[in-house]
Amino acid sequence: MRVQRHSYDSAVLADGRAPAWGAIKEQEITLIPAPLTRTAAVSPYLSRQTGHGRIHNLRARLAHDGTTLSIRLAWHDPDKDDELKDLDQFTDGVAVMFPLAPGASAMAMGAREAPINAWFWKADENEPFDVFAEGYATSHRRSGADSGLTATGYHDQEHWVVVLQRPLTNADDRLAGFRPGSPSAIAFAAWAGSNKERSGQKSVSGEFVHLTVDA
Amino acid sequence: MADKLRHKAGMKGSQRQLATVIDLNKCMGCQSCTVACKNIWTQRPGTEHMRWANVATYPGRGYPRDWQSKGGGYDAQSNPAQGELINLVDAGDNLQFNHDAVFHEENGQSAHLQPTTSRGEKPQWGYNWDEDQASGSWPNAFFFYIPRKCNHCSNAPCIEACSRNAISKREDGIVLIDQDRCTGHRHCVEACPYKMVYFNPVTKRSEKCIECFPRVEQGIAPACNRQCVGRTRAYGYLDDEDNQVHKLVKRWKVALPLHPECGTEPNVFYVPPMSTRAYDESGRLTQEMRIPMEILESYFGPAVGDALNTLVEQRQRRKRGESSELMDILISRRWEDRFAQFTNEPV
Repeated sequence: MRVQRHSYDSAVLADGRAPAWGAIKEQEITLIPAPLTRTAAVSPYLSRQTGHGRIHNLRARLAHDGTTLSIRLAWHDPDKDDELKDLDQFTDGVAVMFPLAPGASAMAMGAREAPINAWFWKADENEPFDVFAEGYATSHRRSGADSGLTATGYHDQEHWVVVLQRPLTNADDRLAGFRPGSPSAIAFAAWAGSNKERSGQKSVSGEFVHLTVDA
Repeated sequence: MADKLRHKAGMKGSQRQLATVIDLNKCMGCQSCTVACKNIWTQRPGTEHMRWANVATYPGRGYPRDWQSKGGGYDAQSNPAQGELINLVDAGDNLQFNHDAVFHEENGQSAHLQPTTSRGEKPQWGYNWDEDQASGSWPNAFFFYIPRKCNHCSNAPCIEACSRNAISKREDGIVLIDQDRCTGHRHCVEACPYKMVYFNPVTKRSEKCIECFPRVEQGIAPACNRQCVGRTRAYGYLDDEDNQVHKLVKRWKVALPLHPECGTEPNVFYVPPMSTRAYDESGRLTQEMRIPMEILESYFGPAVGDALNTLVEQRQRRKRGESSELMDILISRRWEDRFAQFTNEPV
């Protein structure tokens, strides 16, 4: 995967409809149903769930202007679930994940001494979450406002388009940081609310893949 | 992985266990327990549908609606059994009445008091929709009430199911959901075979009976137990040989868990209904129970027959003028006797 350097005002890219996004190369990510057998120690109920993973791929555009990382994610989901209308309903969501230490596992949501940071957008929330985790069941959410993480999303013609943005650098070791010219790694996940997808019941891209950040 | 398993086991265990006994022969379905609980705990936004304490007529669809067919708990091999979620209507909805039209707008002669659902529709189901609806056939119709709340299970599936380790058991056996950890995934709702965990759509977290722990810590019995006007309830530590809970559950073995086959080791115990006597075909009163034994066994397990025999024997002793510790406990002349060390005044 590649984060492309651009010269637009990042505020323009906050809108997923902005024509400027056309200059950023689209990269296709194949998703698979998250394997849940490894969650048995945390939740033997969750580990026996099947039928999740309705979202099969994401189309990603990643860009930075030297100060802000912008990620535009688009995917097919004919059901727009952006509201909890009943006690048995769930909402749509998408996340990108970064390692905070070498060797961190995306599939295990990190491990002790090898944590991860995820940017988590939920269709029924006004703000995205910053997630810090050192393995299953350890995740801590905090408001994206703390780190300057922002998100916008819209649903049109059976597709969601979500833009996540955050300053490239920060002083918090529980948040991912990026330096132009230095590589990083990334993974993706998505949830289809109408398929009762939440927590580990999701689609994932697999382990972290190399992320080149243009100088 | 091994670390995590031990961690989870640590969250499930407790040194002692608080427990409730409810005598179904004395419960008259007055809902005092329901109201006592609701007034204290579930008047916040998003909790309108919740009845952490509730009473329904059985056999019936129960509360939440059809909870007994929604799975959860453990199977016969002690493996997790998948369960289903409940919806707002199952949970009793948030019915609104046209009080203003009837009482305050001078329409009392034309407007009738009637509920509407949270979606503004005519309700098709609600809390206690089938109240007092009997089973069996005339003249041997029967029903009984079962008051329920979270069982604070010793083998709690909600703790097992939570993918965020947000649920744990205290040293006194009370099971609590940490509202700071919960993110509303509702694996606990699915896993609870009693469907006594509820989702709050406003806070987007799951909630349930907290056993009135702020009261319990002050030596005050939970509101549902304390407010029971029928003196149907006993409360205390299950291992305290001096209290009525221990005597009824362990010594006399007349108080039984509901649906023990779910494998969760619940800690609300019921003295089963002794049933009124049945008429035969010629209309004569017999010694047979109206409530079929298979129905009672389906609720309280195979031990219910022995429990009923004990109750009948002890009642007969009393009728003969002999003493019976069991009958003295169940008669409950002094309410303080029922609540062990939890008899402090709430105010």
